[in-house]
Amino acid sequence: MRTPRPTGQDLKLLDPDGSFRARLDADRQAIAQLSDSGRLEDLARIVHGLAGAAGTFGYAEVGNIAIELDDRFVAGEPVRAADVARLLAALEQALGLPGKSA
Amino acid sequence: MTLDYGHAEGFAAASREHLEPIAAQARILVVEDDDNIAALLGRELRGLGHTVDTVRYAEDALFAARANDYTLMIVDLGLPDGDGLDLVREMRRRTVEAPILMLTARRRVEDRVMGLTSGADDYLVKPFAVPEMRARVTALLRRPSRLRGHRIAIANMVVDADALEAIVDGVSLALPRKQFQLLELLARRKNHMTPKRMVEEALYGFDDDVTANSIEAQISKLRRALKAAGAGVALETRRGIGYRLVGAGGAPN
Repeated sequence: MRTPRPTGQDLKLLDPDGSFRARLDADRQAIAQLSDSGRLEDLARIVHGLAGAAGTFGYAEVGNIAIELDDRFVAGEPVRAADVARLLAALEQALGLPGKSA
Repeated sequence: MTLDYGHAEGFAAASREHLEPIAAQARILVVEDDDNIAALLGRELRGLGHTVDTVRYAEDALFAARANDYTLMIVDLGLPDGDGLDLVREMRRRTVEAPILMLTARRRVEDRVMGLTSGADDYLVKPFAVPEMRARVTALLRRPSRLRGHRIAIANMVVDADALEAIVDGVSLALPRKQFQLLELLARRKNHMTPKRMVEEALYGFDDDVTANSIEAQISKLRRALKAAGAGVALETRRGIGYRLVGAGGAPN
């Protein structure tokens, strides 16, 4: 079953003070920096947090990509730059900043 | 892999308008180091009328569990100072009997099985849909082994913990949530002195702003409400000690 896209009202109910949205933006910037620097351990920690939380707050696409990457980190499989770019693109889309990492 | 963790109605059901009734108000400990998830859990559970304490560390959770009688605990597995599995095992070793709902981003079947065999009563995988979390909490609180006495009679009054209702001479007495929690606590301990600190712990969470007069104000309002309803009880105050609910005239009921 396809995960439905939550409405703006749904997101407001789940994140009334916007703190999760602010975190998404902070995570987006951190992921961009870490992927450049190659600090995979820190990157894995942020991705793990997003894998657990993003879907809960209604950011389905971000959550699904983060889960995919988190599974690879846990399994010790390589995470490619293109995968991180997909996550960044989903974050930008969620934050209304399309096209930055495209 | 694409997870389906929320249907359209699931998101919409996050609205307060869709809250399901629950059996009783509970004191819940949330052990979660993700600030956003912790805040969400606290908000939702308080919205259901529960008192919620939130801690980030396993060590703080053990301390809180020792100091308070929790009805339910929600424990995240990945804590900064240890594994939630070890925390749950330690809780059980210390004979903490409250049901435990494990919360984790670990999605493998073997992780879920290990969580349940370590002493947890249920397991919720992140990301989760809020209505599912609420339903699991409600189900855990509904379990027969966790039920306490539900109807407490004292003089001409019955305190019904299931219906969240006090009845005086067959007539329902409408009390605000805090006053009902206070009445239920005092009724459970009828004829016994209840220390002020116990009242404070039962009514307020760690993060609640409690002033020196908060408890006295609630006691005063409850006393007036009971008197107005014609309840044959007396709510006694002993300065510096606490409070006691007795049948009118002080006779044990």
